[in-house]
Amino acid sequence: MYRLAGFTGLKAQIFKIAFMSIIDALLIWMFFASMAKEDSSTLSAVIATIFLLTNLVYFAKFTLPLKFLLPGLILLVAFVVVPVVYTVQMSGYQYKTGNEISKTDALPQIQANGLVLDDLAPTFDLVLGKVDGKWAALLTSQIDQSVLLSTEEKSTVLPAGSFTADEFGIARQADGFEPITEDFAANNEESIINLRFPYKDASFISPQGLDIAAVLTQTLVYDKDADTFTDTLNGVLYKDNGRGNYAAESDPSITLTPGWRAWNAFENYTKLFSDPNVRGPFIGVFIWTVSFAVISVMMMFFVGLLLAVILNQKIALRRFYRSILILPYAIPSFMSILIWAGMFNRQFGAINALFGTQIDFFNSPTLAKMVILIVNLWLGFPYFYLISSGALQSIPSELEEAASIDGANGRQIMGKIKLPLILQILSPLLIASFAFNFNNFNIIYLLTGGGPTNVLEGQTAGATDILITYTYKTAFGSQEQNLGLASAISMVIFFIVGSISLWSLRRSKVLETM
Amino acid sequence: MTRNSLKSAKIGSHIFIWVLIVFTLFPIYVVITSSFNPTGSLATSSLIPKIWSLDNYKVLFNNPAVPYLTWVKNSVILAVANAIISVFVGTASAFAFSRMRFKGRKLGLQALLLVQVFPSFLALAAIYVMMERVYTVFPAIGLGSLGGLLLIYLGGSMGVNAWLLKGYIDTIPLELDEAARIDGASSFQVFWIIFFPLAAPVLAVTALLSFIGTFNEFVLASLFLQDVHSRTVAVGLQQFVGQQFGQNWGPFAAGSLLAAIPLVILFLSLQRFIIGGLTQGATKG
Repeated sequence: MYRLAGFTGLKAQIFKIAFMSIIDALLIWMFFASMAKEDSSTLSAVIATIFLLTNLVYFAKFTLPLKFLLPGLILLVAFVVVPVVYTVQMSGYQYKTGNEISKTDALPQIQANGLVLDDLAPTFDLVLGKVDGKWAALLTSQIDQSVLLSTEEKSTVLPAGSFTADEFGIARQADGFEPITEDFAANNEESIINLRFPYKDASFISPQGLDIAAVLTQTLVYDKDADTFTDTLNGVLYKDNGRGNYAAESDPSITLTPGWRAWNAFENYTKLFSDPNVRGPFIGVFIWTVSFAVISVMMMFFVGLLLAVILNQKIALRRFYRSILILPYAIPSFMSILIWAGMFNRQFGAINALFGTQIDFFNSPTLAKMVILIVNLWLGFPYFYLISSGALQSIPSELEEAASIDGANGRQIMGKIKLPLILQILSPLLIASFAFNFNNFNIIYLLTGGGPTNVLEGQTAGATDILITYTYKTAFGSQEQNLGLASAISMVIFFIVGSISLWSLRRSKVLETM
Repeated sequence: MTRNSLKSAKIGSHIFIWVLIVFTLFPIYVVITSSFNPTGSLATSSLIPKIWSLDNYKVLFNNPAVPYLTWVKNSVILAVANAIISVFVGTASAFAFSRMRFKGRKLGLQALLLVQVFPSFLALAAIYVMMERVYTVFPAIGLGSLGGLLLIYLGGSMGVNAWLLKGYIDTIPLELDEAARIDGASSFQVFWIIFFPLAAPVLAVTALLSFIGTFNEFVLASLFLQDVHSRTVAVGLQQFVGQQFGQNWGPFAAGSLLAAIPLVILFLSLQRFIIGGLTQGATKG
């Protein structure tokens, strides 16, 4: 009978092999494309691992459960677990604006920043060529028309007569010097820019184009063994300050740019609790996050439960009420939030129009918080109505009958029997809802943007910022982007939400019955 | 309970319900009237409009600076692709967890349970840096691409979907697959021929929830999609109305209404299943 489904035997085999060939071809292509780029060894390794795992799992016989699990597993690991691990790693680095690249990438950039054009030295007319197959240059001084023949090892002054000059007095040919063609030059621009011909001491001649060269002085000299930079102009010594910058020995606040992302272990975490500039906003944001989540859940639950109790009775128009009151749950929430944001607008908003006022809701911390709670109630009460209603109906009616036979009135039945039962049934959902609101990015970001923020006083966090929007601002803010600190805050959120969820799971005993 | 107090409780109930209904409908009323208010700005919008017109709707379709249809298309592509792929892959995982016994099953389930409580955007800084790297090698699945965003969404919805679906598959009686096995069916056949059709209603609901979730997603989409033509409805409308609340309010209201109506209809017509799915996943988890 299963043959009828058309997915057995030879057909299935052919389909499987065809499908796997496509996947394999794709992965192999991706692997080589990735290997061809610099700095993508991790990506290549990930692709290779996926390739090996897929083939092993789908062609070996002993891995039946994995055949079902692997696609989900790969997606989960690659796009959830890896970012989390990466967050842990990033939180241990000084990783922010000015400290974004690796130290190996930063060194040449610092050195390049330490190059100064030598005003006193002459500019040279340049003819590029090769001597014994190596880069060389015929350089004619624009001041006294003396001629240098330079290779990357040494420069020698050519006596008059040992070279051929054109009508402008620019040396064009010399013994053993073969000029390169224009095509060759055009194809090798990158290596030409990096050519350095010796001049004097710390100075060298560097091509500034294909036919002109100038003398540059390296004012910042790197000492590889000591890992220090010395400024040859004023003799200042710059040392690695262990925080991603070379800092002057005499005044540590003077640093060389760019910096690099340096390992600083727990510094981002200790900053959260000890650096007053970070701790102040962090604690404020933390308190508001918790109160926002707790108050929101309580308000939604209260309204939702009351509604469920009322609509569970046989009152007129019940179905009509119900379909209207779940509307907020059906409308995409980002839209509702933006609509509410417009309605609370000071000049144009419907709320001010309704009451004939000009209240600037989003400019007062207290009012902005109240607006957030009201809008969140609008968004959330239908969900709590639905789940409370479900819970109410799941309570056996015998309980109610037995209680009323024993002489309990309606209020007693509700307060002493139904409410405790409902709380027990719904507590995992209440906790889940708390966790959701703890990270309710949309309502804060779209309604108030975290504001009002007192920028004049240098505040980095707004009055209504919760931890997740604060993380976002820290990581992608307009002033400074501190990915390291943002990752550390992310880790704090992980820890809080994780412990609450674990605790809730332990309570509900789900873990034991799996 | 006396007659009087019963009566006053009833009146109280009705007042409560009507206050809640006004509260619920007020923004909906405002957005509908604004969308037909021709001046297009909040400034002159009175609560009861005097003139009705379709000007705001025309802006959405005729103004090249507001590629509304492209935004809708992007949102729909992302939401549909995420719904279908994540439900398919999630069902396969859920099937293994529900019907097979293997080493690490319990640990895997516990990990799954824990993973699904974290929204995937929590690691946003890391995701950003990671996808920036991917972009330099594969622009089509890196930062700024719908493909890359889809991959992040897929990863993020794996935990929830697998967990919800496992709860449902657990309720399908074991006798069914035993009977099939006696007839000589392999695990793949049991999965494909027996479970998929049986689970179809739940798969549809999970897919729908996934669809709505993706449609609503804002954080990652706004971080990922910087170019005006690759935006989703959520990011597009937010950027559009955010530039000038007063100026763009009318077209924004029109755009919101148009995008919301199909979703609301879908939700209301399927509410019985959706709510069933919600409470089932909930009371089990």
